[in-house]
Amino acid sequence: MKKRVLAAAAATVATLVALTGCTGSSDAPSGAGVPTDKPITLKVWSWDGTVKEAVPGFEKLYPNITVDVINAGSSTDEYTALDNAIQAGSGVPDIAMFEYFSLPLFAIPGKLTDLSEFGAEDIASDYVDAAWGNVTIDGKPYALPSDYGPAALFYNQAVLTEAGVTAPPATWDEFYEAAKKVRALGGDRYITNDSADIFLLLSLIWEGGGRPFKVDGSNVTIDFTDEGTTRAVEFWQKMLDEDLVNTKVTGWSDDWNRGLNEGTIATQIIGSWFTSTLPERAPDAAGDFRIAPLPQWEAGETSGSENGGSAMAIPADAKNKEAAYAFLEYFTHGDGLQSRIDAGAFVPNLSNLDDEQFLGTTNEFFGDQKYNEVLAEASKNVATGWQYPPFFGWARTSYEDVSAPLYNSGKGTLADVLETWKQRSIEYGNEQGFTVK
Amino acid sequence: MSSATTNAIRVHKRPKVGLLFIAPFAVLFLFVLVIPICYSAYISLFQNKLIGGNAFVGLDNYIKLFNDPQFYDGAIRVVVFTAIQVPIMLLSAIALALAIDSLRLHGTKFFRVVVFLPYAIPAIVSTLMWGFMLGIRYGLIGSLNEAAGTSFDPFAPETTMISIGVMVTWGFTGYNMLIFYAALRAVPRELYEAAAIDGANEFHIVRYIKLPALRGSLVVTIIFSIIGTFQLFNEPNILATLVSNSGITSYYTPNLYAYNLAFTGSQQGYAAALAIVMALFTIAIAYVVQIKGMKNVLNK
Repeated sequence: MKKRVLAAAAATVATLVALTGCTGSSDAPSGAGVPTDKPITLKVWSWDGTVKEAVPGFEKLYPNITVDVINAGSSTDEYTALDNAIQAGSGVPDIAMFEYFSLPLFAIPGKLTDLSEFGAEDIASDYVDAAWGNVTIDGKPYALPSDYGPAALFYNQAVLTEAGVTAPPATWDEFYEAAKKVRALGGDRYITNDSADIFLLLSLIWEGGGRPFKVDGSNVTIDFTDEGTTRAVEFWQKMLDEDLVNTKVTGWSDDWNRGLNEGTIATQIIGSWFTSTLPERAPDAAGDFRIAPLPQWEAGETSGSENGGSAMAIPADAKNKEAAYAFLEYFTHGDGLQSRIDAGAFVPNLSNLDDEQFLGTTNEFFGDQKYNEVLAEASKNVATGWQYPPFFGWARTSYEDVSAPLYNSGKGTLADVLETWKQRSIEYGNEQGFTVK
Repeated sequence: MSSATTNAIRVHKRPKVGLLFIAPFAVLFLFVLVIPICYSAYISLFQNKLIGGNAFVGLDNYIKLFNDPQFYDGAIRVVVFTAIQVPIMLLSAIALALAIDSLRLHGTKFFRVVVFLPYAIPAIVSTLMWGFMLGIRYGLIGSLNEAAGTSFDPFAPETTMISIGVMVTWGFTGYNMLIFYAALRAVPRELYEAAAIDGANEFHIVRYIKLPALRGSLVVTIIFSIIGTFQLFNEPNILATLVSNSGITSYYTPNLYAYNLAFTGSQQGYAAALAIVMALFTIAIAYVVQIKGMKNVLNK
């Protein structure tokens, strides 16, 4: 799972390092109350390599501030380090990076700064609603979205055409039919692979309106029986039962790369960040891959979901909060944003998603498709109201354990797996001081 | 008189000088062994909740551990693994050592180095290597399966542990062989001549001279091997990301479980309790082996 995060980070580190077109605007610094008289050093923990692109512009704006961007590890490694720093009361960074699902883990116990004191709500309208929803916990913004992973369908056009599928499946029913056609090509050919990938399953549930986790402060409710969830689970169960999904290939493995490269894995239902890592994983498939919106549950719908993405927050114990917010705003919303986009960051800011230059981006690997048009649309379509339980970091490891018998040997059903997962989560969550039902 | 004074001083000084000599060891021992163990024992009495912070819970973590089916799953797995893999590995090592020591082979020096070489390869590298080799899709086994029309999978839930056994055996047989070989080299050559004069054949020499000479090193290698296999971690940890459906869970071995408890579940206290229990268990087994083994050696 950690590899997914690394890939997501690598995705943002990017394929092209274009020159920053515009020079920073000469507007006065937006951050009110930022001390300009004393020297300040901001410590930023980020495994997103594009953040440092925004530093020179910011330091020019605030000559007294030095920004130190440190990669303190990815995902869990960083969270552990941050938790240790908070407990030790020293070495806490001024800004830290979080995957969206990990924000509640720090926000709910009061380890993050409520950004409404800096007027963060004022810029909420620049972000797609679902991204803003990710950083809003109990009605308060605890972070600013810094990159985004709307789920999309990456498909190998050559393979689908060979199978007799002329257009990318627009609904899950079409996806199912396409899967059968790809399978009919024989050998080891599958429309996609899945080896207990919880983010894949959740993106299907999310898109279809399922909301299995409800979080209210430290109260968490888990329910895998609502309509949207049931529909997605039953669909995927059918795909597994009929051997339409390759369960022998695990994501991010060498087998996976080869499958994508040779075309034995025809599609991926995955986050937008996959654009930057796919070309190096499947060099022989250059020109064959295209990107389509996520298939829909009903024809004509335009719903969407996320698979990955992250935000930046200011720990409650940070030393220079005003200065930290000024920089945070600068590189996620302000004049520093473009330098990160140029370096390959995919951000949920409407200002970018509507930008002509961004939308016109092409890549030979994707057959010169203007793929950002699809991804921008996917970003805007992400359904709102999704919540992750605060202990999701633990829960996803637990999911791999409980789903192993199903994926190994077909024992049980996805619904059984989710029920066991729920029981384990309830036990763990309550032990950790939450009230989980 | 002066000599008496010197003696008195010497007697007085000796302990301090001794302390100085053991100081480098003692400091390291204290900081990298004693203090961490004491600290682990200390935090095993606490529970750090995500909400509510750190609280003293007495022996709760231990009680929970002894009722935890996931712990037993991993613990039983390594015990069974040890019971099967260690004898195979040590018998192979003895056979190899005897072969090299028989003086009937050509190129023993080369052979010795080649057998030992896997030990010098880090477990991470060797696991990746074996993972690719045993992988069913593109590896050696994949090609063999294709040629023979079979579908043998070395990383199915039932076979993963055997594959890990192969990796560990490959990695450590040479190391153990070297220990046995050293013990054999210490046997005076005259004994063999004397035995030959008495009419002993090669088999007799092995049975009555060489094997008894290996007893002491056998005890040592058994203890090392038990400690090593109880701590099985690298192989399953890497394989879990390399192959799918291998049956490797987050609690596949006790060490892997402790690691996941501490770093993905932030249950450091519980992880510490697990580590302490496994350490005591390992010490107990190693102690039994030592007592029994050494008694045999002394009786001889």
